[in-house]
Amino acid sequence: MFKILLINGLIIGGIYALIALGYSLIYRASGLMTFAQGDMITLGAYLGLTFFRIMHLPFFISFLLTFICAFLVGVLLERGVIRALLDKNVIPIYIVLATIAVSYIIQNSMQAVFGTTTLRFPQVFGVSTLTIFGITAQTEAYACLLISLALMLMLHLFMTKTIFGIAMHGAAMDPMAAESCGINSSLTTGITWGLAAAIASIAGMLLGPMYGVYSTLGSVIGRKGFAGAVIGGYGHIYGAMIGGIILGLIETFVAGYWTGTYKNLIAYAVLILFLFIKPTGIFNEQAIHDV
Amino acid sequence: MESIKKQNKLPTIVGLAILLCVMPFLVKIVVGNQYPLLIMCIILIYIMAVTGLDILFGYSGQISLGHAAFFTVGAYTTGLLNIYFGLPLYLTIPAGAILSALLGALLAYPASKLKFHFLSLATVAFGEITYYFLYTSPGGFTRDYKGINVVGISFLGEDYLRWYFFLLAFVVLILIGKISLINSRVGRAFLAIRENTHAADGMGINVRKHKIIAFTVSAFLTGLAGALYVHLIKYISPETSMQKQSVLFLTMLLFGGTASILGTILGVASIEVLMECIRPLQEYQMLLYGILLLVVIVALPGGLNGGIKNLVSNRRRKKAMKELEIAAQAEAEARKDGDE
Repeated sequence: MFKILLINGLIIGGIYALIALGYSLIYRASGLMTFAQGDMITLGAYLGLTFFRIMHLPFFISFLLTFICAFLVGVLLERGVIRALLDKNVIPIYIVLATIAVSYIIQNSMQAVFGTTTLRFPQVFGVSTLTIFGITAQTEAYACLLISLALMLMLHLFMTKTIFGIAMHGAAMDPMAAESCGINSSLTTGITWGLAAAIASIAGMLLGPMYGVYSTLGSVIGRKGFAGAVIGGYGHIYGAMIGGIILGLIETFVAGYWTGTYKNLIAYAVLILFLFIKPTGIFNEQAIHDV
Repeated sequence: MESIKKQNKLPTIVGLAILLCVMPFLVKIVVGNQYPLLIMCIILIYIMAVTGLDILFGYSGQISLGHAAFFTVGAYTTGLLNIYFGLPLYLTIPAGAILSALLGALLAYPASKLKFHFLSLATVAFGEITYYFLYTSPGGFTRDYKGINVVGISFLGEDYLRWYFFLLAFVVLILIGKISLINSRVGRAFLAIRENTHAADGMGINVRKHKIIAFTVSAFLTGLAGALYVHLIKYISPETSMQKQSVLFLTMLLFGGTASILGTILGVASIEVLMECIRPLQEYQMLLYGILLLVVIVALPGGLNGGIKNLVSNRRRKKAMKELEIAAQAEAEARKDGDE
């Protein structure tokens, strides 16, 4: 029982980690909150489905294409909506509301295009279940865990080893100082949003085979992902990853050992607990853009 | 330079009052059935709810993305008290508002020390927790996803015309209360807290206490609105506490303009009418709503009230400029004549 819960916790934790990562990335780069991440997941799932099932492209190609398309959507969102609102100097709540509006648009346009029935992802791998360390689970579930860990590792390497990643980090810490060093902070902000969206879309493509694809696939997980970001310290990249995994584990273990009925409530309870007791999270991340 | 004329608001108010009283009759005659009257009643109820949100956000600067929770709690309280204990409605409706207020105070106590983003997350979490609690309640006492059916108010019955004036009385009282609250010391403390919490603290305002007051009053009003709502519609389900509803309230507030009386009314009325207009489009309703919302946010950030204020002030400015020009020209002419 414990081992099954552990694996499931890690799997869903990996997903939460990816979402939380997006939130922290965006907060670090722009100082803003976004409610559209959850629907980037849904978008990713639908895009992946389109490429994989409808256009019959190989899985890996669909993966890359989804990543790229979602990246473009993220950049578009930042340039088109967020930048326009920031230039008008509106109060921050309008930007949050704008991301909510975008979330509605994505959700409902997916619904309009694809309908309301849950679509099935065709089987990705040859074998349907794998048994590792004596735990049997869907192959897609293991792939999900592997890919999310790999993605986090790649992001870490990107942010620390590549020039561009370091530039992004710098621009996020202090845009003015970065600009005076010759870093185009407007470009890096756009890329950060794109990256966050792309990461979320990958999460969606991983969730799709496990849960099926429907228009509200990402919204609940997207909201719960906030808890993961807050646990690790909102704005702390690695904190988000760890916070997400911790959230997944807590959720699965509480649901497994105590009660399954309030499973969804657990994430929000953890969120509110952390907000009231330790809003800076595990890694003591001071909010960069304070009101 | 002639002094700026003091605006005489009385004719506007009287005119508005007459319009509000006559409108429902006209609507009923023109359209024939009661449906538009029902919409007008719902508009009045939402005005109450959004006024609550305005006190919290517009005047005190505390963002709440989970306000629908108070609305639904007020509704469920009155409904369940009536169903389980058979208490009369004139007791259960206030009870709904009071319980909602208590919940607001409870939430406010730890939430009042949170800053912007974190407060919004806390309210989102609060809203979601309320939803899930209502959806799978212990022992099923809220009838879970099925929702509850309640009775209507007996002396109002099915007549939405009576409901309209009943609710109108509530709304007028609440708006008068809001104006007096804003103009009182407490109201000014709210504004100070909204503008700069640290400065307000430095001026000796007990920031925490006032934030809790704001939350409590806000929750009371929204809870009252919910309690009245459930007896109008005679049904409530956990869905009403979902984020969608909270976002709707916030949209109405921002669209009309925060921290104003007229803004709340305009915002609620226009959004609700809009929603009704796009309702026939069924599956595209939410999509259009999202697009409209985005367009409005990007194009009209001050809300309708801000837009109207800009319009009025622009026209006044142009008029004053013109008068200045005419006066300057006349002076120049006079000087020329004098020289000759």
